[in-house]
Amino acid sequence: MNGEDEAPETATTEEGDPLDPSAAAALFEQTRRRAQRQLDIRPPLAMLLGAVLVLVDYGGIWLSVRGQHPYTGPSPTALVVVYTIVFVGIAVIAVAFRRATSGIRGRSSRQRRAAGITFATIWVLNYVFAGALNVAGVSPAIAYGLYPAAGPLIIVGSAVAAYEAAREEWGWSALALAVVALAALAAYAGPANVWGVIGLGFSLLLLARAASLIWHRPLPAWARTDGR
Amino acid sequence: MGADQLDPLIHAPTRLRIVATLAALSDGDTLSFSRLQDMLELTPGNLITHLRRLDDAGYIDTEKTGSGSTSLTTATLTHKGRSALDAYSAALRDLIAGL
Repeated sequence: MNGEDEAPETATTEEGDPLDPSAAAALFEQTRRRAQRQLDIRPPLAMLLGAVLVLVDYGGIWLSVRGQHPYTGPSPTALVVVYTIVFVGIAVIAVAFRRATSGIRGRSSRQRRAAGITFATIWVLNYVFAGALNVAGVSPAIAYGLYPAAGPLIIVGSAVAAYEAAREEWGWSALALAVVALAALAAYAGPANVWGVIGLGFSLLLLARAASLIWHRPLPAWARTDGR
Repeated sequence: MGADQLDPLIHAPTRLRIVATLAALSDGDTLSFSRLQDMLELTPGNLITHLRRLDDAGYIDTEKTGSGSTSLTTATLTHKGRSALDAYSAALRDLIAGL
């Protein structure tokens, strides 16, 4: 894309020092883990950041609506704070994502881009639909409470679960399904408490996923017995 | 089996690091020369030497698109290269188990 990719033709003949098998295995494993860490677009750290964002966002809305009788919805101040945190979080994740995928071209990056645009579009259209509910005279408990809290998670979560299952990414598919189940069940807590239940539950699910990613880090390639 | 039975194209520190790094990509993806150089902290000349050896053996595919300031060189591990790395990994495992 740019001049920095132009490699000069000043080749060397360096072969490196001879390796004994143990040193080769250690170098192989160290390089493999480092590459996976540098190319990983969903590291445990991102899950931890996501958990904090979800807890602060949904928790912030819950704090602004709890005790409302009748339910009128989140206050403008709460929405400003929540959207600011969301945009900052998205910006941080976007920078980390661009860094991880820098220099990578091919099928997986095209799939990720298409999937990201699709899921984001579905997410936004959910809020457009929630606006239509309000215009149609549906009660604020649904238009500003149950639907915006649970609806997008149920619909986008279902799409993500199907997408990840098709890629045989069972851990991510299970996480998406768990979020769908959480959102559906949390709706029974009512228009105010649904925010708190989802905030806490979603955050815990992300923390569990982060722990699972750390726990299931692959064994060294040379130590595996299944040939993979 | 001795260490001399290990694939000599892979059993060199720099090439082992190159192949292990490219193996971390998803199937069908390519990595730019500059990102690979950055990840491995190699000089351009050193990297291109080893990429040529691996390319000549069919273990990787390199492609250069554009020219001058818009050129982009990319590298990807071929199926042959991935198979060779798997065989190398298995041989290494057997060697270590026998120590």
